[in-house]
Amino acid sequence: MPREAELSLNEREFILQALRENVRLDGRAFDDIRELQLSFGDEYGVADVRLGKTSHNPFPDRKFDGIFTISTEFSPMASPAFEVGRPTEAETLLSRLLEKAIRRSSALDTEGLCIIAGLKCFALRADVHVLDHDGGLVDAACIALVAALRHFRRPDVRVEGENVTVYSVREREPVPLSLLHHPLCVTFSYFNGGEVVLVDANLVEEQVREAEVVVTMNRHGEVCQVAKYGGLPIDALALLNCTNVALAKVQMLDKVIQQRLEEDAKRRDKGGLMAELNGDTLHKDDDRLDRTTDWLAWVSEWIEKAIGLTVGVVAQRYAVRCMGVSEGGTGRGKARARALEEGEGETVRAM
Amino acid sequence: MPLDTSTYSLALLRLDGRRWNELRRIHAQISTQAAADGSSYLEMGNTKVICTVTGPAEGRRTAQGAGQECRVEVEISVAGFSGVERKRRGRADKRTQEMQHTLTTAFSSILFTHLYPHSTIILTLHVLSQDGSLLAACLNAATLALIDAGIPMSDYLCACTAGSTANEDTDEPLLDLNGLEEQELPFLTAGVLGDSDKVAVLMLETRVRVERVEGMLAVAVDGCKRVRGILDAVVRAHGRRMVEEGV
Repeated sequence: MPREAELSLNEREFILQALRENVRLDGRAFDDIRELQLSFGDEYGVADVRLGKTSHNPFPDRKFDGIFTISTEFSPMASPAFEVGRPTEAETLLSRLLEKAIRRSSALDTEGLCIIAGLKCFALRADVHVLDHDGGLVDAACIALVAALRHFRRPDVRVEGENVTVYSVREREPVPLSLLHHPLCVTFSYFNGGEVVLVDANLVEEQVREAEVVVTMNRHGEVCQVAKYGGLPIDALALLNCTNVALAKVQMLDKVIQQRLEEDAKRRDKGGLMAELNGDTLHKDDDRLDRTTDWLAWVSEWIEKAIGLTVGVVAQRYAVRCMGVSEGGTGRGKARARALEEGEGETVRAM
Repeated sequence: MPLDTSTYSLALLRLDGRRWNELRRIHAQISTQAAADGSSYLEMGNTKVICTVTGPAEGRRTAQGAGQECRVEVEISVAGFSGVERKRRGRADKRTQEMQHTLTTAFSSILFTHLYPHSTIILTLHVLSQDGSLLAACLNAATLALIDAGIPMSDYLCACTAGSTANEDTDEPLLDLNGLEEQELPFLTAGVLGDSDKVAVLMLETRVRVERVEGMLAVAVDGCKRVRGILDAVVRAHGRRMVEEGV
């Protein structure tokens, strides 16, 4: 059985001495997380994680729930210490932690995977593959899993009595999963008798550490899971402080994931017929239509006004002609007025 | 299994008639098996665990071991009849494996492993009956068995659980949950080193508001100190009897 190469005494002492002098080997602050890189594949639900889906029979004791399983796989590509086929202790712990963080905290609403109670449901399977191992496995796996679940779309279904129609992606826009909250893990590592606390230790730091605490929280301030498997005993108050630090980190990570998901959604939104049929993009088309109708309305209004103006001018001229106040008519009227002024004026004066 | 705990706010008495800060009855014996180097039998309420220690002895894989320190190996077997419904839990069960890992790492840092290079200590636990606080009972039983085996350790590792009542407006912590309460309420298991406030093991598996954790942890740490008093009394009584009987 291959084992992780152990650090030499010099290396070990070097790391610890650096930590005593408040230096981390990669230059980060003690409570810094490494930069998060998150990219999504072309299919829905592929982050660093692949999610498959099949239609399945639900478990008889849970008629209203769908099936959700998480499986983890360490490939020898990630670290020479991993072997194919034989689950190591680290792998068991990782899958157990993910299970507690995401399944037991009911982050995924499994009732949403139910199609017909007791007869048909979706089975969702999340496969976590570790491609490279440089510490912080639990944190990374949890981020990947949550991002993938938020990214994933399941095919739409229609139920008519006992008949279920599962629509392909081409027929109907697939539906996102209903996630109740987004739990994320933060690992704390303790050194030098608990004096030095690091967030997100890398592999060498993990080999030197004296205790680890994995805290899983969501951004609403709920603790989903805390695991401290032995190791150096830590003061209870210091442990409580971990949850506060974890909350800030989780909120930060959640924001990054959200941002990446939005970017991905923008990239995917190419328009077309499917996009027009989809409820989300409908309002965008409405916008465009509105703009067209606006333009049309403007043109017609303009024409209307122009016609109205012409008609008005013509009508006015006609009316004026009829009333005899036109060019010719004025002459007559003016003459009468003059006559009145000249003749009757005198009579008035005479009167 | 839905359970009506709403009556708690009226009488402030739990399902089994305890108040919020009362432990269940803890009954413990040590040196129960003559063949083992150390052994113990522990009951926390209706949770019953038996533990034997073999070693420090030459391990099965000493060539690969870390060498300078002794290894701690833990095997937990859960009897099929221990739960409410008969269910067989195999060796590959992840919950059992996680508990084994917890015990291994917890005791590796508390035992003076550097005194026994190239050797292995094997802890074998059998769970006879489960009614909540299983991990706590396993930790306590293992502590007693290791003391019986005479393996030097820095202090007792005592564990118990603490929960929090379900209603939203008042969050009152509860000490030492039984099986029914564990299914219903958020709870944590804490393992504390001796009389200090130092937490060696902390497991929280249910979703709970961050503000409640503080109260739960404080009650659990306090409970662990009381468990330590009980276990210490068991060890001292056994020591006295050994002196009197001259075994």
